[in-house]
Amino acid sequence: MDRDTSLRPPPDRTMLTRGTTDRLAGRFFWLIALLPIALILVIIVTLGWRARSILDVKPLGELLTGEVWKPTSGQFGFAPFIVGTVWVTLTTMIIAVPVCVLCALYLSEYAGPRLRGAMKPLLDILAAIPSVIYGVWGLLAIVPVVQSGIAPALKQLLGFIPLFNSKNPTGFSVFSAGLVLAIMVTPVIVAVTYEVLQTVPHGLREASLAMGATRWQTITHVVLPKALPGVIAAIVLGFSRAFGETIAVMMVVGNVPQMPRSIFDAAYPLPALIANNYGEMMSIPLYDAALMGAALILLLVVLGFNLLAVLALRQAARRAL
Amino acid sequence: MPQQIRRWIAILMGAALVVPLLAACGGQPAAQPQGGEPQGTITASGAFALYPMMVKWGEEYQKLHPGVQFDISAGGAGKGMTDALGGQVDMGMVSREIKPEEEKQGAYWVSVVKDAVFPAVNEKNPVLNELLSQGVSREQFIDIFITGKIKTWGEVAGRPEIADAIHVYTRSDAAGAPETWAKYLGNKKQEDLLGIGVFGDPGIAEAVAKDPLGIGYNNLGYAFDAASGKPVTGLVVLPVDANDSGQAETDEVLDTKAKAMQAVASGKYPSPPARALNLVTKGKPSGLAQDFIVWAMTDGQKFVDSAGYIPLTPDLLNEGLQKVK
Repeated sequence: MDRDTSLRPPPDRTMLTRGTTDRLAGRFFWLIALLPIALILVIIVTLGWRARSILDVKPLGELLTGEVWKPTSGQFGFAPFIVGTVWVTLTTMIIAVPVCVLCALYLSEYAGPRLRGAMKPLLDILAAIPSVIYGVWGLLAIVPVVQSGIAPALKQLLGFIPLFNSKNPTGFSVFSAGLVLAIMVTPVIVAVTYEVLQTVPHGLREASLAMGATRWQTITHVVLPKALPGVIAAIVLGFSRAFGETIAVMMVVGNVPQMPRSIFDAAYPLPALIANNYGEMMSIPLYDAALMGAALILLLVVLGFNLLAVLALRQAARRAL
Repeated sequence: MPQQIRRWIAILMGAALVVPLLAACGGQPAAQPQGGEPQGTITASGAFALYPMMVKWGEEYQKLHPGVQFDISAGGAGKGMTDALGGQVDMGMVSREIKPEEEKQGAYWVSVVKDAVFPAVNEKNPVLNELLSQGVSREQFIDIFITGKIKTWGEVAGRPEIADAIHVYTRSDAAGAPETWAKYLGNKKQEDLLGIGVFGDPGIAEAVAKDPLGIGYNNLGYAFDAASGKPVTGLVVLPVDANDSGQAETDEVLDTKAKAMQAVASGKYPSPPARALNLVTKGKPSGLAQDFIVWAMTDGQKFVDSAGYIPLTPDLLNEGLQKVK
């Protein structure tokens, strides 16, 4: 049997070709690696270009703070949508973060290997369920429960706080969207938090336990402080996922262009605006430019948060060394 | 690794990069009838209202011309218009009037069939009996859907002791049904309609069917069940008191699809919210698309009734045929 001859150049080639091939391959792969980055830049430039015609007519400030959305009469106020998006995302995070961080802590610090082996794949399945299925489930299961159970109950208990008091008689609300989204971002936050917690050296835990600390004290005084940047990164990743989620939110949030004053009010987040109305884009003057502008705002916010998360994760990795 | 294999891998990688780019550059040219037997694919998207009719027409046309495939999707009239103007589909299904801005961008439309938007409430509505016997007038609808002055079911039925709030639903997607309904309510636009925005015609029907205090509106094909001819489970179509008589006459009470179709055909049901449904192409239709549209407006009309739509008057049809021939 012949030996592998790849370490010796074939007799009819020179050393020059091997070096050239090597450099060419490197350059080629570098170009391919640039493609995703180039794509993001192309998207930003395209959106900005398509949105410029509305920026010519209306100042950016008026667009971002205007509260009236009536495109046929030329009024393009994005404030209700930006505020609505923020409300929904904040509600999601308030519901999701405690649950997810505690879940990840349990998986990392308390769970035995068998339970861990069973739970991790299940969480990944949650991530694999298509968004529209969450929307349909939210429509069938969450909205009626909010309408007939949660909203009236909270109104009775805490109705003096305007946050819980709403004139919206249906279950289509910020709260329903927040609940559905919280389940959707759970896999993201739990997975990343779990990985971050695993990077904390076991030696630290052992040292703490050896000093007589309980497991919970170890977690709060040793593990979490060490892992904090990573946990924050996980939360920010979940935030950007929730910010941009479209279909599931659109089906349960009510789609009313108003500034929500209570978590039980209907709202209209930016992604839902684009998804609902891109059909009418060509028919009303400036509408397509307005929607492209909305898309650009959305993209920049999500990119910004993702960048933050990456930087925080890098910091966390450096700390762990 | 031997030199030969490395070279092949490099060639394959290069091909894998270049070929998709080339394929993406080439578009799908519109199918042309080959002189004899038409063949190709006809793509259409748009209004939920026109969707069942297009599907039926597609099936029948395919029986005559087996070489033709159909690719029809719903998504609202707005989507149909955008897709047609953008060249993504051969024809857009648009269940409302075409706007001048759209015509300026090349929208070439023709009316093919008629249908209507009907207001609907839940069968467990607290004042259902009063609603069915008195009917609801246009002014009352305006106060429910546009101005918000009427807030309780008691106010609609003339029984002030009933204080149940009206849960108003509307369409969140850009569609023809809300445009038509808003046009009926004092020439307003879809954005003037109040209510919780739900996506799609089936969506709003579902929302009202599950909410005893809900009110919404649906196209003929989604308010009534195609098989039984009765309103969809949970829904009751409201009688529109067109002549403001304060009473719902027998032909204003639309409890079966047949009665609803009869009311629209006879003109008893006002237009709007009854309206012609249009097919939109970018520029005058040609080739397979033109062939299909002309067929739909001539031989295809015999399927209109069984599909649950109302045929246009012969004058309107002829006018349309002149436009596309």
